[in-house]
Amino acid sequence: MSTSLLNDWADWAPRLLDGLGLSLKVTGLSLAIGLTLGLVLALWSSAKRLPVRLPAIVLVEVGRGMPALVMLQLIYFGLPDAGLTLETFPAVVVALSLTTAAYTSEIIRAGLRAVPSGQLEAASALGMSGGDTQRFVVIPQGLRIALPTLMGFAILIFQISALAYSVGLPELLSQAYSVGAATYRYLDVLVLAGLFYLAVTIPASWLVARLERRLNRHL
Amino acid sequence: MTTDPSAGQAILSLSNVRKEYAGHVAVDDVDLTVSAGEVVAIIGPSGSGKSTTLRCINLLEVPDSGTVSVLGRTLDTARGVKHAELMQLRRDVGMVFQSFNLFPHLTVLRNVSLPQERVLGRSRKEADERSMALLEQVGLASKASAYPPKCSGGQQQRVAIARALALDPKVMLFDEPTSALDPELGLEVLAVMRQLADKGMTMIVVTHEIHFATEVADRLVVMSDGRIIEQGDPKAVLADPQVERTRTFLSAIRDR
Amino acid sequence: MDHLVIILEAVPTTLAVTGASFAVGALVGLVLVLLRRTPWLLVRGLARLVVDVLRGIPPIVLLFIVFFGIGSGAIRLDPFQAAVIALGLVSAAHLSEVYRGSLLAVHRGQFEACQALGLGRRTTYARVIAPQAARVAVPGMVTWAISLLKDSALVSTIGVAEIMLVAGQDARSTGAGLLPFVLASAVYIALGTPLALLSRYLEDRLSIERSR
Repeated sequence: MSTSLLNDWADWAPRLLDGLGLSLKVTGLSLAIGLTLGLVLALWSSAKRLPVRLPAIVLVEVGRGMPALVMLQLIYFGLPDAGLTLETFPAVVVALSLTTAAYTSEIIRAGLRAVPSGQLEAASALGMSGGDTQRFVVIPQGLRIALPTLMGFAILIFQISALAYSVGLPELLSQAYSVGAATYRYLDVLVLAGLFYLAVTIPASWLVARLERRLNRHL
Repeated sequence: MTTDPSAGQAILSLSNVRKEYAGHVAVDDVDLTVSAGEVVAIIGPSGSGKSTTLRCINLLEVPDSGTVSVLGRTLDTARGVKHAELMQLRRDVGMVFQSFNLFPHLTVLRNVSLPQERVLGRSRKEADERSMALLEQVGLASKASAYPPKCSGGQQQRVAIARALALDPKVMLFDEPTSALDPELGLEVLAVMRQLADKGMTMIVVTHEIHFATEVADRLVVMSDGRIIEQGDPKAVLADPQVERTRTFLSAIRDR
Repeated sequence: MDHLVIILEAVPTTLAVTGASFAVGALVGLVLVLLRRTPWLLVRGLARLVVDVLRGIPPIVLLFIVFFGIGSGAIRLDPFQAAVIALGLVSAAHLSEVYRGSLLAVHRGQFEACQALGLGRRTTYARVIAPQAARVAVPGMVTWAISLLKDSALVSTIGVAEIMLVAGQDARSTGAGLLPFVLASAVYIALGTPLALLSRYLEDRLSIERSR
């Protein structure tokens, strides 16, 4: 690795760091909104009666079935046609939140279903109402079971945030691409961007693996 | 020993209770009347319907037909049970499970207090005071802030008993409460149950513990193939079973 | 109707990108998993690093590195080649993890039994371990194929004329706005559904076999 490359990287780093900050901001916001919606969808799609849960199931299957990039472009380029124009940043957050909601609702639903039936029986034998049973017994345990998978998904949505390049949000990949366009040094700057992504995703995946092992030990 | 069964008033009765699962009859035409303060032990081979019978009492399993009557409130299960009736029944009847079913994400104290707050509407302070008194009674006050997975099985089962008692039930159901425990841990649980019986609690216990049945129970009920085949004074039934099926079952568990 | 025809004409390209990348990934993934089971620590470590990097980097970034970074320099890659290389590498990393998980799912006793019977390493893997591992791996491979089908949309960003690209062009050129994107979504779902059903069927069958 030549010193000139390191010098260039040092020159580009602040710009890419700005981009990384925006990537993380988009990710965090989308996760906060998406997980809340995901929990709602998970409870809704767990309803006893099929007609009640059907709309939730359709929403989830559509959200999971379409590529995240299609969701993003549909919201940014398509919705203005239906009279709803969003700025770049909100459009990206809305798209990633919807994708997050669709995926995490399935993860959360699996977690809720994994709560042992004895827990429901105990709550029932104690005379707790259905709502109380969900709120105090099932949801806290179901979310705990789902936690490692949800964190794995959080890493994925951080990676997906790179798609925001396609609508011109100045996040990490966009910043790297425009440096590349200005200097014709695509490889060098894109590799640096890749390292920035890895600096977040690899430690995060170690954390998830550790958490998974810890939770498994306690089961 | 507790009150003479004939002296107490009937507090609970099942009549003509029947439960089927996909063509298999689990409980067939069971009648059972229990007096206040009585301790009834139900024994029988696995699949004999004893646990299902117990679960029909608090309607964890809703019988296909028959009536369940607790404290003079009679529920006809074939006609459907109203939510309010079900909630009242669950308050009157406490239950202890084979696998404890404590809430693993809550401390021992919260396990005992939460149902009091949500079901009886007690304040947190009231509930915690009652919980501590009961944990004291089962010998686990020192474990109040521990989480269930950190407790031994015997400790968890004693907490589960305290959790059920905290709602001031009039009848306690025990579904094989020591079957998941090592023998010495089972003894701690049986000691708590004996203490409870001595205080006059009405108890129905599905169990394999013949010793407990003879020493603590007022009546022994033997089930086979979903029916009650024999019942009476535990010592008498064990010494001289009247039905052949009881005899083979008893010799099978004695051989173990 | 024209909008739908335009999109349907791009379906073969989407399927070609997906299929070719999957094939590359299935083979390279096999190499990676074998490297991760060699006795040499350094090789194992390097293989693991490659897998972690390929899984940790967003696929679109890898795609740009391959197409703009490498493919426009000394080597010339057309968009389709770059797409297959990038998505093939991502697939290799994910599929190697699927393979690894399925090998771990084979009971240790099976290896021990083979040793006790005096079977060689190759016979052990080819005749005993691989057939058992494959049953576990197949549902995971189908799940990856579904992800890959959706990930293939991002090769539109380097100009491969697949579903996403033609939908976007159609939306801009005709001013039809929303419709092409809705149709594109429907086509992706229609393509993914048979795979999803297959994966569910295979997983159910596997869990029944295991519970026996």
